Amino acid sequence: MSEQEHTEMEHQHEHTGPGYMTPQAAIERSEPETLAYVVGTHVGTDVDEPDFVAVVDLDPESSNYGEITDRIDLPNRGDELHHFGWNACSSSCHVGGLERRYLIVPGNRSSRIHIVDAQDREHPELVDVIEPETVNELDLSAPHTVHCIGGGTVIISMLGDADGDLPGGFLELDEDLNVNGRWDHQGEIDFNYDFWYQPRHNAMVSSEWAAPKTYQPGFDLDDVEAGNYGHELQFWNWEERTVEQTVDLGEEGLIPLEVRFLHTPEHAHGFVDAALSSNIFRFWKRDGEWHAEKVIDFESRDHEDWDMPVPALPTDILLSMDDRYLFGSNWLHGEVWMYDVSDPANPQYADSISIGGYFGDRQEVQGRELVAGPQMLQLSLDGERLYWTTSLYSSWDDQFFPEEAERGSVMLKADVNPRKGTMTLDEEFLVDFGDLPDGPARAHEIRWPDGDCTSDIWE
Amino acid sequence: MATVRLVWRDGREATVTATDETLLEAAEHADFSLPFGCRTGACATCTGRLLDGDSTHVRQPRALKQRHRDDGYVLLCIARAKNDSAVEVGVDVHNDLLENPRKGH
Repeated sequence: MSEQEHTEMEHQHEHTGPGYMTPQAAIERSEPETLAYVVGTHVGTDVDEPDFVAVVDLDPESSNYGEITDRIDLPNRGDELHHFGWNACSSSCHVGGLERRYLIVPGNRSSRIHIVDAQDREHPELVDVIEPETVNELDLSAPHTVHCIGGGTVIISMLGDADGDLPGGFLELDEDLNVNGRWDHQGEIDFNYDFWYQPRHNAMVSSEWAAPKTYQPGFDLDDVEAGNYGHELQFWNWEERTVEQTVDLGEEGLIPLEVRFLHTPEHAHGFVDAALSSNIFRFWKRDGEWHAEKVIDFESRDHEDWDMPVPALPTDILLSMDDRYLFGSNWLHGEVWMYDVSDPANPQYADSISIGGYFGDRQEVQGRELVAGPQMLQLSLDGERLYWTTSLYSSWDDQFFPEEAERGSVMLKADVNPRKGTMTLDEEFLVDFGDLPDGPARAHEIRWPDGDCTSDIWE
Repeated sequence: MATVRLVWRDGREATVTATDETLLEAAEHADFSLPFGCRTGACATCTGRLLDGDSTHVRQPRALKQRHRDDGYVLLCIARAKNDSAVEVGVDVHNDLLENPRKGH
């Protein structure tokens, strides 16, 4: 039996668990999203309240379309909710009895991890809290990306040690979502940020931001010169939990943030956005070696109020479920873009929307002024609706778009035509996180209840 | 024991008593709410500025640069008052540290 035949045999399985058998099944069998979970934060504003997870109505037929219909309030202030994830995704589609039910919602500032039961999709409830002391005991802090890793266990990338210094690492939760220990062998890496795994290649890739003590207070050019920001990708042996290879992206790859393997589990190929250098790199494995090269770059632009050219700062990317389009957000320039990556080595510009940020052609929607650029993205499973929010991180927001603390963020949407490769802003859709009972909030990551383009992985 | 005057930029003031607790804890015990995040000196959310008196950090204030410390900024989550003092508090104080590095002043 060839290795390929063996691999195919291994992955023929019944679909009895959460998610979809294949990315194509997710495209064909999913219903259009009717609600989203969106994290909202008050950290770094005058609003003296805890952060929250908002339930946003996305059903165009609903009388509450575009409104926050429920929210999960947290018990503490100061968490800075940021990224979050599920206890199970399509990587467990063969595990009977497992449900995509619990949201794991970390506070990046506090290191506190919240467990939310979303069985009732419209009215999720907080059911457990892992306190910072439990996390710090493993010499970890600043949780970032949450991925379930099959069978109900979860790992979370952690950006710092217990003191907010380097190195970071990974925290593992067991099937009951209790802390199980460290996933990594301590000391394998220094910097940490996002990660994604591709089980058929026994591979994981992780990226690099900075130590919490560096990025949390705000962005400082001195830190760039001092080498306090990352510029490498780490490629892991997934089963051994060891770093197999480090690829240095160099000066054009400063601050590699979101890493996305192609959804198709056969491919050892992906993309990463180097935010500070304003480049998109692709990475791939050939003959047992990982490689990376720049495939898109965004030029800095002059602005009359700036002493230096303004970099685009592409802070988020995602791949459509069919792996055809790469979407991204240039936060400072104020642009949402899509490239055709059918040939991943040669991305072709497809379309963009210029809105918000320092240069956006449009600076308001429905009369609501946009006080920051597009940031976190989420795409419908069928690839026809792209949503985004505008907050990056409270201290960085306050530095680059200070009005966002007073006005709050917005969530916007574009209709995507995947056949023509075009996007159109949906002017009917606006969620205003600035207009809430407690006062303005910032909105960050967006998730669908039944799978999305940035959390589902296939074995 | 020290008496600490908390001064907000909107004109509010309050006086709290601090024993061997941090300035953040002293304010919380007196029911005054101040911004905070990590509580370990790594995130700077709780940044205050010493207007009068002396304080000492009980561990290294990682989130402050030396230039910030020289300017009197303190991390209230890990700072203790050494004597009677006054501290400027509130989210605006942290924002002092956040200049847009490419935009000039």
